[in-house]
Amino acid sequence: MTALETGLKDLPDSNPRTVGPADETAPLAVVDNVTKTFPRVTALDQVGLTINAGERVALVGPSGSGKTTLLHLLSGMAQPDSGSVTVGGRELSHNLPRRELSSLVGIIHQQLDLVPQLPVVHNVLAGRFGHWGVFRSFLSMLWPQDYPLAVSALHQMGIADKIQERTAHLSGGEQQRVAIARTMVQSPLLVLADEPVSSVDPGRAQEILHLLVGLTEDSGRALVASMHTPYLVRQFFSRAVGLKDGQVHFDIPAPELTQAIQSDLYGLGQEESALHHG
Amino acid sequence: MRPARPLLESPHFLSLLLLGAVAWSVTGIGWGEPLLHTGGGDSALDLLLALFPPDLSPSFLLVCLQAAWQTLSIALASITVAVLLGFPLGVMASGALVSPNSRLRAPLMISSRFVLGTLRSIHELVWAVLLVAAIGLSPLAAIVALGLPYAGILGRIYAEFLEDTPEDPLTALRSAGASSWQTLIFGRLPMSTPDLVSYTFYRFECSIRSAAILSFVGIRGIGYEIQLSLGELLFSQVWTLLLILLAIVALVDFWSGRVRQSLVES
Repeated sequence: MTALETGLKDLPDSNPRTVGPADETAPLAVVDNVTKTFPRVTALDQVGLTINAGERVALVGPSGSGKTTLLHLLSGMAQPDSGSVTVGGRELSHNLPRRELSSLVGIIHQQLDLVPQLPVVHNVLAGRFGHWGVFRSFLSMLWPQDYPLAVSALHQMGIADKIQERTAHLSGGEQQRVAIARTMVQSPLLVLADEPVSSVDPGRAQEILHLLVGLTEDSGRALVASMHTPYLVRQFFSRAVGLKDGQVHFDIPAPELTQAIQSDLYGLGQEESALHHG
Repeated sequence: MRPARPLLESPHFLSLLLLGAVAWSVTGIGWGEPLLHTGGGDSALDLLLALFPPDLSPSFLLVCLQAAWQTLSIALASITVAVLLGFPLGVMASGALVSPNSRLRAPLMISSRFVLGTLRSIHELVWAVLLVAAIGLSPLAAIVALGLPYAGILGRIYAEFLEDTPEDPLTALRSAGASSWQTLIFGRLPMSTPDLVSYTFYRFECSIRSAAILSFVGIRGIGYEIQLSLGELLFSQVWTLLLILLAIVALVDFWSGRVRQSLVES
């Protein structure tokens, strides 16, 4: 064996289809000593967090505490000023190819961000873009590719009958299901959701969280969502991470998250001044 | 009390200056001479009366329809050329196909914008004169003469529409693994289609008028017939031709409204 071949053998596997933890016990995602600063504000200050496969992590904390920034860094669409974010053994950096990134993490934004003019099927199949070349994408516009995947995802969301409908014609709740179906088709290791139930009524919140949890039920996946309601966190999540002023304030099993702990985190009462000066 | 402003900054000063200019311009009119030249009033009256009725004789209507057909086909062919040429240039000029930190971005955008600018900075009549000299008095000259500046206009506006699409859905597509091409096909294009189509229809309408005008360099069509009839002072024929032009433009307007509506509602 030549020196070159030996060297190649030692390289980490760079095939995007085989990304994932090297062994079952390795953490799925590691946020290592991450600091992120925006002009005049430190959004995250030396945050460390380890997420294992199978976990459902709720990020709680007042607005401005760094939840959204942490989700953005985990999604790989933003990079930390210092420290590192690793998912499935790959560091999320600028030069990580987009299609590889899409097999590691998927994010559902609060604003859903679907293309309203397109039929539902195309918004769902956007989750397959990482696997398609330019030609296949063109073809899909006329003749949707991987159609059965879209059908089965929408079926699980309970809106299979809407597949050909224009996305703009769907209700807010149906659009949220389309966004979840897209992430289901994308099938990332780590599913992120930014305030998934902040603007829906309690009944629908239960349904949506049920669907989100369903996304990560296969072994080897995890869910991270920013949340505000303690009883929903206790019901659907396994772990609650409290953020405050860009730092991890607590990291507890979800069943232990009480209203009192959350109120303390939100700086209600005497803590308010500390929040403003911190 | 407000502090007194300098005279030159007072809004009244500018108004007074403009009023003064208007008043002074009135003195420039030679009030001694009649406003219309001798017999001008009679000609204007003739022109107006010729509308009742316009020339509707079958033989002339046949001439009109043939001319209308020529003008319409030139307009349709030239807007097709303009779309085929302007669309790719517009996509390049919008920078939608190169990532923001690519080193190719600036050269590609600047060069395609330069081409578009050159195409539209030369008026279609000038293109026509140049092309008639090169190709001769053929419909091809007219089609190219209209197609080139219209490609410049369409490309420029297409680029703007493609750039102005909402950013959030595009970011969501990218985070799902979409490349620049995929973001274009499934994000920018569908979001701007109603605008792209309706602007193209508007330009098609403009190209009908332009095609009619091209007869001033000798290309057959409605404008050519108008020129002939005017030369022979056959005003009722001029009216027929103008009414037909009006009908065509109204028809295209109606059609574009229907298409746009179906795009927005479907």
